[in-house]
Amino acid sequence: MSGTQDTQGLVPAAQALSRRPSLEELRERKDRTRRHLEPTGDVMTISMGPQHPSMHGVYRAVLDLDGEVILAVRPEIGNLHRGVEKLCEHRTYHQIIPLTDRLDYISGFAMNHGFCEAAEKLMGVEVPARGRYIRTMTHELCRISNHILWLGTSIMDLGTQTFFTICFRDREYVLDLFEMLTGARMTHSFARIGGVAKDLPDGFDHRCRKVIDFLPKRLAEYERIIKQNRIFLKRAKNVGIFTSEDCHAWRVTGPTLRAAGIARDLRKDEPYAAYPEVEFDVAVEYNADVYDRFLVRMKEMRESCKIIRQCLDKMPPGPFLAPDAAHSLPMKKNVLRDSAAMIQDFYQVFRGPQVPRGSVYRCVEAPKGEMGVYIRSEGGAKPARVRFSTPSFYHGQAVPALVEGEMVADMIAIFASVDVVLGDCDR
Amino acid sequence: MGLADIIKKGAFVDILRGMSVTGTYFVVDKMTVEYPKEKLQVYPRFRGVQALLTDPATGDTKCVACMLCATICPSGCIDIVGEQTADGRSRPASFKLDLSRCVFCGFCEEVCPEAAIVMTRHYELATFDKDDFYLDKEKLIANQVYVHKEVFAQPTEDTAPAPMEAGTANERGRS
Repeated sequence: MSGTQDTQGLVPAAQALSRRPSLEELRERKDRTRRHLEPTGDVMTISMGPQHPSMHGVYRAVLDLDGEVILAVRPEIGNLHRGVEKLCEHRTYHQIIPLTDRLDYISGFAMNHGFCEAAEKLMGVEVPARGRYIRTMTHELCRISNHILWLGTSIMDLGTQTFFTICFRDREYVLDLFEMLTGARMTHSFARIGGVAKDLPDGFDHRCRKVIDFLPKRLAEYERIIKQNRIFLKRAKNVGIFTSEDCHAWRVTGPTLRAAGIARDLRKDEPYAAYPEVEFDVAVEYNADVYDRFLVRMKEMRESCKIIRQCLDKMPPGPFLAPDAAHSLPMKKNVLRDSAAMIQDFYQVFRGPQVPRGSVYRCVEAPKGEMGVYIRSEGGAKPARVRFSTPSFYHGQAVPALVEGEMVADMIAIFASVDVVLGDCDR
Repeated sequence: MGLADIIKKGAFVDILRGMSVTGTYFVVDKMTVEYPKEKLQVYPRFRGVQALLTDPATGDTKCVACMLCATICPSGCIDIVGEQTADGRSRPASFKLDLSRCVFCGFCEEVCPEAAIVMTRHYELATFDKDDFYLDKEKLIANQVYVHKEVFAQPTEDTAPAPMEAGTANERGRS
């Protein structure tokens, strides 16, 4: 095959795409869409990024091109390295929470949540029901805001400028809810060991319901815009096919894996917080291409709206923070009234949570994929080692496998479709 | 091209449909605000620059130099030196806050047992002079003008000044 082959001949009819292809079929389809060129010696090496306008962050990809076909990609990461894991070793468990929401700053609460789940498992803290429901709800709000941002930016990479502003308009509703609930729009620092920092504010329930009633209408509008857009369909369908076996080989999780037909969702498979108590479906698609990753995320946003509504309906009364004097900070209103809570406050700040020796791994389904936290404790208030296994790192390393043999113009479309945030990748 | 298509094109159906979408935005409230001229009112929990509250009875700060905020601060941006007054009260001799290190996590406000340090609504912190980032006690007390939650009357973690009417972001209330 030559590098200049017409792409249109490779796109099968729409009917053929709608059914569930087998793994062999997908393999064969992937083989057909990628161009397998013999190295001719006429290779051009260009550097894409780290300051490329369409790169999602400071990611540098060194591309070897033959004409317009990508022969090889060498990703270079580390431009945003902040040494978060090392910083964690010098902070108490409470103080690590503000570090975690700067990992994946698009979905800050998911990172807070992952760390707190791990720390609670290590300490044996049980989160009260209201705390679990608030966490679940905030996590899903996070997923919506992450996916809307992803949608806007990745479609912009395909050349649609207006769509970006439409997405940002609607993300604003969710960010407003975040500001009302947590006090910050992106770096929430909202989860605490044993629950969440604050209870729902007055009027939040009503506002949140309005937003989640309204968002599905907007999602339908997005779908109308995109599904009828011939340019988008040509650039997304059968592009960047990444089968389930590739996902397993490269540890790619989240919507990319679910777009390859694997119904793997930690919210169902290893339930945490209030997920076992709410009903939702795992969004799965089968064609494993850029278009199906888009569909999976659209479905997920709808499911998130469903989860949030159920959380608001079922929101139990009671404390939102565990009354665990040994491990969690007290509720602020008690500190000002109750001397026992004030003693707990002083104890937690000066000594920190007293954690047994041991190690723990816990993962949560962050919007981008599985976010795992490993903590090794040697006793005391500070962890001996914290390791974050964040989805963007694995998605970023899979980029060569994703794009080799594709056209250079599709590089960004495919890179965007797996959803990489470099703050999450470099840590 | 069928007859229906010809009629559709002749009557500008698609163009009219497109323009109707555009036209609705003449009557729908706009999402954006003209930022420097008009500003959105932030929510009661918003975490802006810190302020030290004073006790209306004495006029001095409510802070008792217990060092909780300085200890919990994840970036270590608070520096307090305590002293004893003649009547045996503890108070900060100096209270320094380095805004260039602050991450606005709100932990200082959360742990304060006296509700002396609060996060305010003020967020426009750009400056030409780096010294403006180093806040001392006087500057922090002067920041009281930005306090937007009712911390004096009812010492709970947040008492909303006015219940925000739900709806679109446009109804969020402009200052």
